[in-house]
Amino acid sequence: MMAPFAGLIRRNVRDPRTLALVTALVLAIAAVALPRLPITRDGVRVLVVVDITGSMNTRDYGRDGAPVSRLAVAKEAVRDLLGRLPCPSRVGLALFSERVPFLLFEPVDVCRDYGAVEGAADALDWREGWEGDSHIAEGLYGAIAMAQGLDSDLMFITDGQETPPLPLSGGPVFDGKPGAVRGVIVGAGGYSLAPIPKFDDRGNEVGFWGVNDVQHENHFGAPSPDAESRPGYQARNAPFGSGIPTGTEHLSSVREPYLRGLAGGTGLTYTHLEDGRHLARALLATATPRPSPALADVRWVPGAGALAALLAAYGLIPVRGWRPTVPGFIKAVGRWS
Amino acid sequence: MTLGIDHPWVLALLPLALVPWLSSPHRRIAIGALILVPADRLSAGLRGGLRIAGTLAVALIVTALSSPYHGGRLISRTGTGAQVVLLLDRSGSMNDTFAGRTPAGTEESKASATKRLLRDFIGRRPHDLFGVAAFSTAPMLVLPLTDHQDAVLAAVNASDRRGLDFTNIARGLGMALSMFAADRPDEHHVILLVSDGGAVIDPHAQDQLRALFARYRADLYFLFLRTAGSKGLFDEPGPDENTPQAMPERFLHRYFQTLGIPYRAFQAESPQQVEEAIRQVDALERYPITYTERLPRRDLTGWAYASAGLPLLLLLAAKLVEARLAPSRSVFVAPPARGRAT
Repeated sequence: MMAPFAGLIRRNVRDPRTLALVTALVLAIAAVALPRLPITRDGVRVLVVVDITGSMNTRDYGRDGAPVSRLAVAKEAVRDLLGRLPCPSRVGLALFSERVPFLLFEPVDVCRDYGAVEGAADALDWREGWEGDSHIAEGLYGAIAMAQGLDSDLMFITDGQETPPLPLSGGPVFDGKPGAVRGVIVGAGGYSLAPIPKFDDRGNEVGFWGVNDVQHENHFGAPSPDAESRPGYQARNAPFGSGIPTGTEHLSSVREPYLRGLAGGTGLTYTHLEDGRHLARALLATATPRPSPALADVRWVPGAGALAALLAAYGLIPVRGWRPTVPGFIKAVGRWS
Repeated sequence: MTLGIDHPWVLALLPLALVPWLSSPHRRIAIGALILVPADRLSAGLRGGLRIAGTLAVALIVTALSSPYHGGRLISRTGTGAQVVLLLDRSGSMNDTFAGRTPAGTEESKASATKRLLRDFIGRRPHDLFGVAAFSTAPMLVLPLTDHQDAVLAAVNASDRRGLDFTNIARGLGMALSMFAADRPDEHHVILLVSDGGAVIDPHAQDQLRALFARYRADLYFLFLRTAGSKGLFDEPGPDENTPQAMPERFLHRYFQTLGIPYRAFQAESPQQVEEAIRQVDALERYPITYTERLPRRDLTGWAYASAGLPLLLLLAAKLVEARLAPSRSVFVAPPARGRAT
């Protein structure tokens, strides 16, 4: 009884479809037995500092045809960014107003606590600002020190508008080590000047800042060299001239050259605020990789192989054209995992 | 029994399970005329069985690729707790000690002591929803109500950093109240206000706050960290002192008493007293609260691959014993005794 079967088997073994079925069976069994493989995953650890000063209310972004404020775009982008970070990543959040960053919470795992961090980012509001001034450079240096203390990278979102304007002698000097903290400065705002909304002390919008509402020139330090030619110049009593300086400080656009300069001086990179995907790309390009052990489930590799082999046995995948794709497939798997 | 899958899109491959009904891994044999092969139930049954086996094998592997699991459902449970907003004073004076000095050596600032004790408090209340708000010159929403304790602890950890300038309690309270859901009598709302200074609330803001408290219904605990030598909540005014400007703490306390809400004030002059106050809040705020919990998951991927093995084995067995009908150079003379063509 066995003898004819043995003969059949011997003859059928040579059929390529038999080979395909054997492959499918072996791969399915391999998928059962394959343990999770230990790998390292690179996450990021970043402190996100968002400028909430008045100029961030400027509505010079457009979404669906409606003007949207810089802060709204920044919030939306940060929330989107959270979902795009590789797991496990940790994100802390801080506000910037006046001259110091204000830490809301230390970096937390956004993969596990996504809802909480996303809710906090959504709750950012310009009304939380504690002072009207915005000394961007000082705030940035403070944020760099804060990020260093938290052992994290930095993302600083601002429009770069110093209020009041910097004195002629220049802004404060960075006394840290450039590059000690890695990260990105994100410039928010459009490239052309736009009016800044003005609010009363109950938080109601009451028009825009006018040309006479703001300081256009900083009178600390030495006057500009052309001051002598100004009307009413007097070396002791009116070294800046007697006229009221005018300018465009009541309007706002993203101060890109200034922010690029700050980035260069502190070893950060610069990018313009667009959306979450943009932020993620800029951050991941510069962030310090934080490897952590993880277990990868790679059972899908033999599983997919088993499916392919089974379909090949049914003639769906032409077996003859198969051989050259196998090394390509293995290479692709190597890239993915 | 709840089943779920992680990668639903993989199921788009399921139509491939029809392939066994369109094609076969077995050898085709050309036969001159159908009439030569009589209808054969055994053959038809075998064919059907092998088709079903093929369908099962494809479907099970596709299912396995979609990472099926059992359990992992979110269920609601009832525990004891409350919805607690921690409203923390972040004015600069919180970074001093209870003696009003900059901390030196092993001394603990008011903010650090509060932070340490609040961490214990949060750890003891696993089912509470916590939110964190801070105030100095302006109120700041730090973290909306959440059951993610790690995030709450991270927010409390950040609370003893350098503070800002002033103490604007009224706007802070308004912010804290707005974090709750309005008109939800089934929820129990608690505000734990930690501050080291009173503040004058102007009459307009007083009315607004009163309306907000009526709307959001929250219990208020005022943990007043009294610095040595400063006025307290319960001090009796001296002559010419009975004004909100001279004794803001006393007037704030009396205003809270008029709100018509459950209100308790604790005046702490040392970390030990802070601990005692927080312990009392912990004991008082024990109400039924609904919280969600995720049931453990059991991965079924391995089972799916294993069960695909059986039909695969069957297909392979059928393939191996496939009979090769003699390649006939000559014309068929007689039908074979048993047709095994499948």
